[in-house]
Amino acid sequence: MPDPFTKANGVALTREQTLSSTNGPAKLLFGKYELGKMVGCGAFAKVYHARQVPTGQSVALKVLSKPRIVKSGMYINVRREIVSMRRIRHPHVVKLIDVMASQSKIYLVLEYIKGGEMFRGISAKGKLNEDSARDLFRQLLSAVAFCHSRGVFHRDLKLENLLLDEFGKLKVSDFGLSALSPTSFSNQTILFKTLCGTPAYVAPEVISRRPYDAAKVDLWACGVILFVLSSGYLPFNDVNLMMLYRKIYKAEYRFPKWISPDLRTLISRMLDSNPETRITVDGIINDPWFRYGLNQNQIDELMQHQPEIEDRILKIDQEEEKRDLNAFDLISLSRGFDLSGLFVSQKAKKERLTSSGTVEEILDKVEEVGRREGFYTLKRKGNEGRGMAVVHGSTGGSLAWVEIFRLNKDIALIEIEKGEVEDEEGEYGHNFWKNKLLPALHGLQTEIEPKTPISPNSPLSVLDGPSSGSGAPDMDDPESDSDLIS
Amino acid sequence: MGCMISKQFKRIPGYEDPTLLASETSFSLNEVEALYELFKKLSHSIFKDGLIHKEEFQLALFRNSTRKNLFADRIFDLFDLKRNGVIEFGEFVRSLSVFHPDTPKSDKINFAFRLYDLRNTGFIEREELKEMVLAILNESDIILSDDMVESIVDKTFQQADSKGDGRIDLDEWKDFASQNPALLKNMTLPYLKDITTAFPSFVMRSEIEDDSL
Repeated sequence: MPDPFTKANGVALTREQTLSSTNGPAKLLFGKYELGKMVGCGAFAKVYHARQVPTGQSVALKVLSKPRIVKSGMYINVRREIVSMRRIRHPHVVKLIDVMASQSKIYLVLEYIKGGEMFRGISAKGKLNEDSARDLFRQLLSAVAFCHSRGVFHRDLKLENLLLDEFGKLKVSDFGLSALSPTSFSNQTILFKTLCGTPAYVAPEVISRRPYDAAKVDLWACGVILFVLSSGYLPFNDVNLMMLYRKIYKAEYRFPKWISPDLRTLISRMLDSNPETRITVDGIINDPWFRYGLNQNQIDELMQHQPEIEDRILKIDQEEEKRDLNAFDLISLSRGFDLSGLFVSQKAKKERLTSSGTVEEILDKVEEVGRREGFYTLKRKGNEGRGMAVVHGSTGGSLAWVEIFRLNKDIALIEIEKGEVEDEEGEYGHNFWKNKLLPALHGLQTEIEPKTPISPNSPLSVLDGPSSGSGAPDMDDPESDSDLIS
Repeated sequence: MGCMISKQFKRIPGYEDPTLLASETSFSLNEVEALYELFKKLSHSIFKDGLIHKEEFQLALFRNSTRKNLFADRIFDLFDLKRNGVIEFGEFVRSLSVFHPDTPKSDKINFAFRLYDLRNTGFIEREELKEMVLAILNESDIILSDDMVESIVDKTFQQADSKGDGRIDLDEWKDFASQNPALLKNMTLPYLKDITTAFPSFVMRSEIEDDSL
């Protein structure tokens, strides 16, 4: 198949090309990316270094061939993985920046990591001392825990997918993109030649083709990685594939003599051939070797990453104006303006109520209810009777948002919204925001006796249809909204 | 994959060339293609005719096709540029472009004014503002006394109706919105920044020629 990049100059210029060639080099993809040299190549993808034109920012451009994807039946995977990948923003996960496409190619724009694959670094040293291994493993676990809490699994964790940036920070690549991961890189020195194309990181339950829990499979692979980092070789290795499978199946491996007893304990709990008894993320966080030298605050700092929370607080801070809510502010809160429902199947669920409590009282209440359930609360008191709080779990994902606005000197409007990690199958079970927080804040509500209640049948006011039985099909999720309408 | 379907959809009424739409709006060509995936989904949710009907719009917004909402009605009416009761693909892209984070603020200010001018008189009257406040309170299940509603409306009018003639004209609205930028919060949809990753189905159907890159 001809390569469109080298061919681009050989054909008649189209409108876009004419534009780009007047402003800069001809190899300008989508008017945005200047293509550099190829840095990797695999079954489905070629990876190039590229530069974003107006900013000069380096990116990795993963170019996939559409015909090959269609032929291998991977189209659904590609779609699903792009969707899950976009939800992950974590300092130790390579970020998906953009997706583009032409008739025959798909382009994934990824964060560019200047350092390179970790195992190149390790191959130079042979193995790492336990402190360095622990430092890298902590970063890996924080990334894995974050993705798992958001329902994204790697399924192909291995040393080749761990990159080190120029500051020595670990970045996991291909999270959620395992089906697309290149099988080899063109310019790498391969440390573990024998492992090429062998399932050295695969968990026993995958080999035996049982239905498996993707979280447990990732943790097994983390155990293999931790073993390799600290010993310099693979725990399971054999030139004969059947022998290798047997070793993995029986979890048959031997520690080198320099591995400390605490580390042996942790690795053996990760390389537990029974997924039921294998250690969980929480188990690892509480393991003595993992925690060594860190206090609880430092552990929280390591495990909690809150890009969504930070973004939103920043946005609230920017938008905050030092005044009471006016009539137009109030109107702008309507769900009728919230077009996000067009874009996401699970629209943010919200409830509003009024309170005569002070901002402090409301914020304290939120914190108290959160603490009772074992969650963390970030509070912020703004100007003019405004405030916000977010209740989050141990990996930083939000369970509930609370925003407080002042309507006038007596009354505050409270908006409670479902957090991004909370859903029916979420790690925290059921609806903290709705079943715990909302009733508690309703309890704060003091009686505001309306002198003349507004007519609920005002002609232009909202007429709620029945929450179900409308006969119309639901968009994506049949149960996504029924409780909001009630 | 999807080839036949793609051709069939092209014949839908109101289909427009993505290249043209991209040149007129804040969207790139791939983004218009991604929006087309979204449009197909929305416009086939009930009436399979490639046009977004009011019921389909309400279904997307509220997960309920019969749920009426004053503000959703207003948005629908403004999206329906040809005023024929349905939203066509071109109308969809051009109107959504107003909500793009990169769209100039003046466009957003104008759009909001038309939205709030319920009876299309060229002015936001006091009565209209009160109607809208009552609608949002009702929607939120919040009960406030009539006095309190009057005082909120009065206070806002004192600030916005600088000429004091009992109605807000476009110039007064421009001043008021510039002084209180938070008022335009609902005129920006952050989702529009990453529609390509949100609707990656477009990648298999993209019509951009490889040679043109």
